[in-house]
Amino acid sequence: MNLTEQVLHVLDNALSLQGRAASFDRDTPLLGSLPELDSMAVLAVITGLENHFAITFSDDELHGAVFATVGSLCDLVEQSLARQAT
Amino acid sequence: MSPRARAALPQAFFLATDTGQRFCLFHPPQGATPLGRVLYLHPFAEELNSTRRVVAGQARALAQAGYGVLQIDLLGCGDSAGDFADATWAAWLHDAQQAHRWLDDHASGPLWLWGMRSGALLAAQLAALLQAPGTAPIHLLLWQPVASGQQMLQQFLRLRAASQWLGAGSTGEPPPSQTLAQGLAIDIAGYTLSPLLAQGLAEAHMPAPGSLQPGRLVWLETSSAQTPSLSPAAGRQLSAWHAAGWQVQAQAVEGPPFWQTVGTDEAPALVQATLTALTHPPQA
Repeated sequence: MNLTEQVLHVLDNALSLQGRAASFDRDTPLLGSLPELDSMAVLAVITGLENHFAITFSDDELHGAVFATVGSLCDLVEQSLARQAT
Repeated sequence: MSPRARAALPQAFFLATDTGQRFCLFHPPQGATPLGRVLYLHPFAEELNSTRRVVAGQARALAQAGYGVLQIDLLGCGDSAGDFADATWAAWLHDAQQAHRWLDDHASGPLWLWGMRSGALLAAQLAALLQAPGTAPIHLLLWQPVASGQQMLQQFLRLRAASQWLGAGSTGEPPPSQTLAQGLAIDIAGYTLSPLLAQGLAEAHMPAPGSLQPGRLVWLETSSAQTPSLSPAAGRQLSAWHAAGWQVQAQAVEGPPFWQTVGTDEAPALVQATLTALTHPPQA
């Protein structure tokens, strides 16, 4: 699984999308477009990503723009992984 | 209803404490051989509601197997007296002690303290309070335990930030931790978090395993991975429990993070009836 697929897997589980995330791509809008994405769900996605990738986001890097699209969410994970590797 | 089915029903009651009534559910042990008693301590804020269904199912299953299981809604939570804003960590620990006293009078056998998420911290801290030289060991059943109260608090404060992202842009208000530090309460996801509770939660730690009289520790997590595995944080903690002489059983099982997701039950007939009523009004 590449990174985007892994992020979609976490997203699907956190929001109970029952496989619907499989049809998403980097351009799929999230915040404001996905009815399942309320504040509890946003938190579920964050902790889901932290657990799955064994990373920790700092509160500074978490803001609304990060949840704009699947792509922006993937970028956040990529940055965090890169920071951890250094 | 058959007498047997009636006996299996949980008993709902209010436990009187010096700070009001606490809603409790007791599942009496079934069968000829009682196996022991279990006190369940629930997780934080909305997680109590998200977890009710799974926990109730587990409590019934344990009762059927021969355990007497007591569930308590802590001060300001669920159906108990008080507001969430009035809750403190110390008051919750006190509630847990009262619940244990009730369970002590109404069931016998080995004692298990079962805690979910932040309830796991309460369970372990209660074990430390209850242990006494020469008494039977107290066992722990921990579901998805949080590493620390600080971690739980951080996740809860993020909920506030998340709800701001859903609105139109940032409001420019100070971060919640700053508001709390000024001694002010904040509202998060419908819960009023007092500075006192935030502080108590932040300072709540898992007691050092070596400070507890060793018993059995059952540590369970759920995972949505195809091959479920325990979190890296769990591994470090478990070796400390093991080294302190506890009989440790730890496992990750397949399952959703049900404490942070709302139910996925659907009611299609209700949706259809509403749609029909509003699109095909009856002829006057």
